[in-house]
Amino acid sequence: MKKRHLLKAALLLAFILAPPALFALDPATVSTEHVTVTLVSERSGIQPGQTLWIGLHFELIPHWHIYWRNPGASGSAPVIRWTLPEGWEAGEVHWPVPKRIRVGPLSNYGYEDSVALLVPVQVPPSPLPADPQTITANAEWLVCRVDCIPESGRLTLELGNAGSDSGTATGTRELFRATRAQWPGAMRPAGTYRLDDDTLAISVAMTDAMPRNPADVWFAATQWGPVDASGAQRWAQGTTGFTLTVPTGDLPPDGNRPLEGLLVMESVRDATAVRSGHYVRLAAQPPALSKNRDLTPMTALVFAFLGGLILNIMPCVLPVLSIKILGFVREAGASRQRLAYHGLSYSAGVLSCFTVLAAVLLALRASGESLGWGFQLQSPVLVTLLAYLMLLVGLNLAGVFSVGGTLMNAGQSLSRVGGLRGTFTTGVLATVVASPCTAPFMGAALGYAITRPALESLAVFLSLGAGFALPVFLLGLFPAWLRFIPAPGNWMKRFQQALAFPMFATAAWLLWVLSQQTGSWVYGGALAGLVAVAFVAWLFGQWRPGGWRLWLLGGCTAAALVLVIGPMLAADPAAQPHYGNDRPWSEQQVQELTAAGRPVFVNFTAAWCITCKVNEQLALSTDNTRQLFEARSIAYLVADWTRRDPAITRQLERYGRSGVPLYLLYPPADGQPLVLPQLLTEGIVAEAIGKL
Amino acid sequence: MLKRFFQIPLIITVLYACGSGAALRVGEPAPGFEGVDTGGNVHRLADYRGKTVVLEWTNHDCPYVRKHYGAGNMQAQQREAAAQGVVWLSIISSAPGKQGHVSPEAAEELTRKRKAAPLAVILDSEGRIGRAYHARTTPHMFIIDATGVLVYMGGMDSISTASPDDIPQATQYVRAALQELAAGKPVSTPVTRPDGCSVKYR
Repeated sequence: MKKRHLLKAALLLAFILAPPALFALDPATVSTEHVTVTLVSERSGIQPGQTLWIGLHFELIPHWHIYWRNPGASGSAPVIRWTLPEGWEAGEVHWPVPKRIRVGPLSNYGYEDSVALLVPVQVPPSPLPADPQTITANAEWLVCRVDCIPESGRLTLELGNAGSDSGTATGTRELFRATRAQWPGAMRPAGTYRLDDDTLAISVAMTDAMPRNPADVWFAATQWGPVDASGAQRWAQGTTGFTLTVPTGDLPPDGNRPLEGLLVMESVRDATAVRSGHYVRLAAQPPALSKNRDLTPMTALVFAFLGGLILNIMPCVLPVLSIKILGFVREAGASRQRLAYHGLSYSAGVLSCFTVLAAVLLALRASGESLGWGFQLQSPVLVTLLAYLMLLVGLNLAGVFSVGGTLMNAGQSLSRVGGLRGTFTTGVLATVVASPCTAPFMGAALGYAITRPALESLAVFLSLGAGFALPVFLLGLFPAWLRFIPAPGNWMKRFQQALAFPMFATAAWLLWVLSQQTGSWVYGGALAGLVAVAFVAWLFGQWRPGGWRLWLLGGCTAAALVLVIGPMLAADPAAQPHYGNDRPWSEQQVQELTAAGRPVFVNFTAAWCITCKVNEQLALSTDNTRQLFEARSIAYLVADWTRRDPAITRQLERYGRSGVPLYLLYPPADGQPLVLPQLLTEGIVAEAIGKL
Repeated sequence: MLKRFFQIPLIITVLYACGSGAALRVGEPAPGFEGVDTGGNVHRLADYRGKTVVLEWTNHDCPYVRKHYGAGNMQAQQREAAAQGVVWLSIISSAPGKQGHVSPEAAEELTRKRKAAPLAVILDSEGRIGRAYHARTTPHMFIIDATGVLVYMGGMDSISTASPDDIPQATQYVRAALQELAAGKPVSTPVTRPDGCSVKYR
């Protein structure tokens, strides 16, 4: 007992008397059960004024990990407190790209096996003392496999001056080189996020450093809170960057301030996983329509129904309908039951055609295509085919040819059973000829439909069809309403011929749209095809071919169409539509201009969008508006959607639209754009500019 | 084809169900639960309507839990809460065979030994309550007000180390929130980062 006291006293005495240097020196390496930590310096000798890189090298036993700056669902980032010679200053830790480590349902960000956390140290320019300089790190870290152990250590390293630099060991040089290779790339500002309920829709533009086929891409916020580290993320690679859907964390970003984080791309090279990353600063975007609920499902259904009703008087639809109605007049004496059947069969034709259109659109979207309503007018081939169809219907009305009782002349065969099929076909035809008209006039309701789940959008499309079919359906039920129409006679033939001209006008408009989409050679081919179609129709009308002759004629027509359409498919889809001297839109362009302090007006338009053209004529290209733009130095950008453009489609969706027009007015510097109404006047534009 | 058609509403329903489980937000009703304590008694969140409820996720072998129990901080706050009529439930979501999983007897022994004072210790070895609350760490703390609305979620205090020496300097988030609630004020710091070990789910 006494002996032990003596021993303690002796030890204490030795402790007090020993020269300070003897026990001030902590080791440069600390080993625990799970990790060996070494204090490392890139140089063993120092020079005044240099930036010296030092750091802690963690070597972990297999399966254990330490954490990134944001540890994720649990855990804790290592903390290093430096004690440095007078005047030396340590910078921030440079964190290598972390790994996602899963523990049960939770995910953390961290490092396994080996990692070095390096910091730059600024050495003052004044001459260094001759004595070796001591640097000390007090570090705390949490090391986990499933269970976690908090550990800490005090590490010391002595550095002589440059003269004593004995050269850096190869191992150390290699460690610093390898660690630098694991650092994320510099901050990229070209990205956005949008808060949609419980997810963040992130898009990052990658002009370079785009890995070819990444195995996985994920986003980690620099701070805890905005992102749920454990939640499943979805990602997609586009031609210019990545889009990700990321679940929000306990503290979702407020949707106004930018969000900082790390975009990590994982790929497999030579059977080993390679990770690279970029710090990104994501600008906030306003939420999508589905979030702000301007339009409820009920009002969308009502709008669609009313829109369908209005479609009946569109120039491309009215002629077809009129013929149908004239058929009813002719058959005024037929049984009421038959007429009702015809009304029903026509409605069935309309609704099935709308169902097919909706299904095609939804299927294309589900497969990842960026499409909005009006997509049928973005394809030069479809535009050409629609123009030919309009021409054929017009020629038929004008009496150049007739198709025995199957299409327009169904009225003559009302009393026959086969006539019902004809009426159904009329319904289908009416919908097809109406489709170019729906795009410019049905923006809001269909835009809503497209952003909703499949069943809901189908309901909106069917509501549109129901509105469209209603007039004929009602006339079938109540033929007495047709009393005011004069008795059948010669006037009917003349009226029918006159109705050919709205069809020709529609064909002319479609050809103008085509002229905006293609080069002159393809356009010339389409015009030649137009003549060929008219010629075949005339032949058909004169010749009334049957049997093999009909097949021959059909075959020749098909061959002619292939010759016309073929070059269009082969034509360069990226050909820029000519758009005067106006500057083309890009998101980057907007950012650059607003950052330079200029307000920006963006006109999202398309050649086939009648509303857009009217707005441009009445509100945007007027002298008053032009002067106002000049006076306020507003940059005018045009986003032309005449042909498909995924970037424009995405931007439209961001503002809850699935089609043009859309008008945005950005204030200078960092701010949310004003969204102008779809129908513009000079006054509306001036008022919006006044708010800047 | 017909079968496919019926699948669509089913998928939508499932997606909605998952979606609602994903969001736990302060200011919204807290998810209801039913749990069995060490004595075999059933506790339902609905039973405590009219009272403030504190949920404490715990794992006695986790260093961050030991920090607060070793220094007596957790027990002190449990007693303060009980004195204010607040219901304090400690919940163990460790799966069998994982760290922190205990039998009812062992759990009661821990309470005795540590002089802890929760109203009850609920054994959630299936992790059902833990997942409903997205409990990720021990200690992960939740406070539900008298109307059943979640008013706080996050850590015990503002310093995330495992060292008990840091407790006196730290802001005690749970204590502060309970004081604000008692004074009829809104909780000024409703969401913080939960620190500590991960919950050892199955």
